[in-house]
Amino acid sequence: MFWTVTLSLLEGFMTTLELFALTLLFAIPLGLIIAFGSMSKFMPLKWLSKTVVWIIRGTPLMLQLIVVFYGPELIGGWFGELGIDNPIFNWLAGMKGLDRFPSVLLAFVINYACYFSEIYRGGIESIPKGQLEACQVLGMTKSQAFFRVVLLQVVKRIVPPMGNEIITLVKDTSLARTIAVYEIIWNAQKFIKNGGLLWPLIYAGAFYLIFNGLLTIIFAKLEKKMDYFKA
Amino acid sequence: MKKTLSVILAALLALGCVFMLASCGSTGEETTAPADDTTAASEETTVGESDLAYIQNKGKLVVGVTEYKPMDYLDENGEWTGFDAEYARAVAKELGVEVEFIEIEWDNKEFEVESKKIDCVWNGMTITDALKKSMDITDPYVKNAQVVVMPKDKAQDYTTVESLKDLSFAVEVESAGKGVAEENGFNFTELTYQSDAILEVHTGKADACIIDLTMADALTAEGATYENLTKVLSLNEEEYGIGCRKGSDLCTKINEITDKLLADGTLDALAAKYELTLVK
Repeated sequence: MFWTVTLSLLEGFMTTLELFALTLLFAIPLGLIIAFGSMSKFMPLKWLSKTVVWIIRGTPLMLQLIVVFYGPELIGGWFGELGIDNPIFNWLAGMKGLDRFPSVLLAFVINYACYFSEIYRGGIESIPKGQLEACQVLGMTKSQAFFRVVLLQVVKRIVPPMGNEIITLVKDTSLARTIAVYEIIWNAQKFIKNGGLLWPLIYAGAFYLIFNGLLTIIFAKLEKKMDYFKA
Repeated sequence: MKKTLSVILAALLALGCVFMLASCGSTGEETTAPADDTTAASEETTVGESDLAYIQNKGKLVVGVTEYKPMDYLDENGEWTGFDAEYARAVAKELGVEVEFIEIEWDNKEFEVESKKIDCVWNGMTITDALKKSMDITDPYVKNAQVVVMPKDKAQDYTTVESLKDLSFAVEVESAGKGVAEENGFNFTELTYQSDAILEVHTGKADACIIDLTMADALTAEGATYENLTKVLSLNEEEYGIGCRKGSDLCTKINEITDKLLADGTLDALAAKYELTLVK
C-alpha cells in the first residue's frame, strides 16, 4: 500500500514540478518586462502595466484559473446565442480555450510575473541614483549602466523576496486541481475519497517540505555567492 | 533611448495581448492548419446546430465523472466502471459514438458542461431545482434518498428526526443533503465532497452526516471503509438524473435511448448488478 501511494503521489508530484518549472521559466522574464512597464515614463504603458498588476494581484488565482480555462467557451457561447453573422462575432463565438494544463500554466505565468515585477521594481529602485550618475560621468550608456552595474546588485537584493514567492509557488500549484489537473494533492485526496486513507495527504506534505528544503538551501547558497556586493 | 525602449516595450506587451487572444482563438491543437481553424469556428457558430449533431460529428461523448461508488469508479485495470459508466457506454453505442470519461472537480460541473469541456454530467447526480436552472436534466433513472449516517454505537439513541436536532452535521456543499439539513433546521458544515462529510463523522469532527443512500450503503457495508458507521434515518426520497447542456437535444435523445434500454432489460440487469433501484 505504501508503495502504491508513493508511486501515485510521485506521479502527481511530477505534474506539480512541471508546472513549477515552466511557470518560473516564463514568469521570470515576463516579470522583468512588466517591471520596466511599471517604471516607464511613457504614461499609457505605465498605466497599462499598473492596471494589469492591480487586476492580477487583486483577484484570487483560483478565479483566474477558472476564467482562463472556461472563459473563452463561455464568452463564445454568449456570442453564439446572439446569432449575428459577421466575421468578428463568428470569431468570438468560435473561441476555444486551451487544454487543462496549458490553461493552468498561462494563469500561473501571468499571476507570478505580476508579483515578480513588483519585486524587481523594488530592487531596481533601491539602487542609489548616484551610481547611474557616476556611470554617466564614466561615459557609459544607460543600457551599459543597467546591465554592467545595476543588474547584479538588484539580483542580490531580490533573492530573499524571490525565494519567498518561489516557495509560495511550489505550494500554489495545488490550486491546479480546481480545473482537474491531477497534481499531488488531487492524487492524495483520491485515497481519502475511495478508501478513507488519511495518511497519503499528510505524506504529500513531505514531498513539498523536502522540495522546499532543497530550494531554501539553493537560495542560501545563492545569497552567499553574492556576498561580495556588500556595500 | 528611453523613448525607444518604451515603444519597444509597449509593442511587446501589445504583441503579448494579441498572442494570448490568438491562442484563445485557436483550437488548442497546434498542428491544425489555420484553414481548419476557421471552418471549425464557423461550424461551432452555425446558428441552431444541434448539440447532438455536434457530439456525433466529433465522434465521442465526453462524460464528466468523479470516483463515486457504485455509480462511477475505476476497476483494477484503471478502466471506468460502475452503474453510470456502463449505462453511459450503452447509450453512446446507440448514439454511434465513443465515450470518454473525464474526472472533474465536482464544484465546477456547471462550468465544465456549459463551456463544452464535457458533454454531460453522469455521476449519480441528485436532481434539484438549482441544477435544473443550470442544466437540462434527463428523466430520473435511479432512486436515491438522503440518509443520516453516524457511528454504530450511538445509533440506537437517534430514531426520530426530532432527536437529531442537537447534533452537528456534515454535508456536501450545495448538495441535496444540505437541502434536507436546511429544511429540518439542523446545524451543519459544508464540505467539498460527500466523502469528506463521512470522513468528518469517522474522525469525530461531526456527529453525523447526510449523504446519498447509494453511497452510504456502499461505504458502510460489512468490510467496507466505514463499517463502524451506520445509517439511521432516511430524510427524503429523490432521484438521479443526467445533466446536459441547457437547451441540448442530447437530453431528449438519452431519454429515448433509456426507454429502449429499460424495455430490453439492460438497465434492470445493471441495477441488479450494482444493487440499485430503478425509477420506472
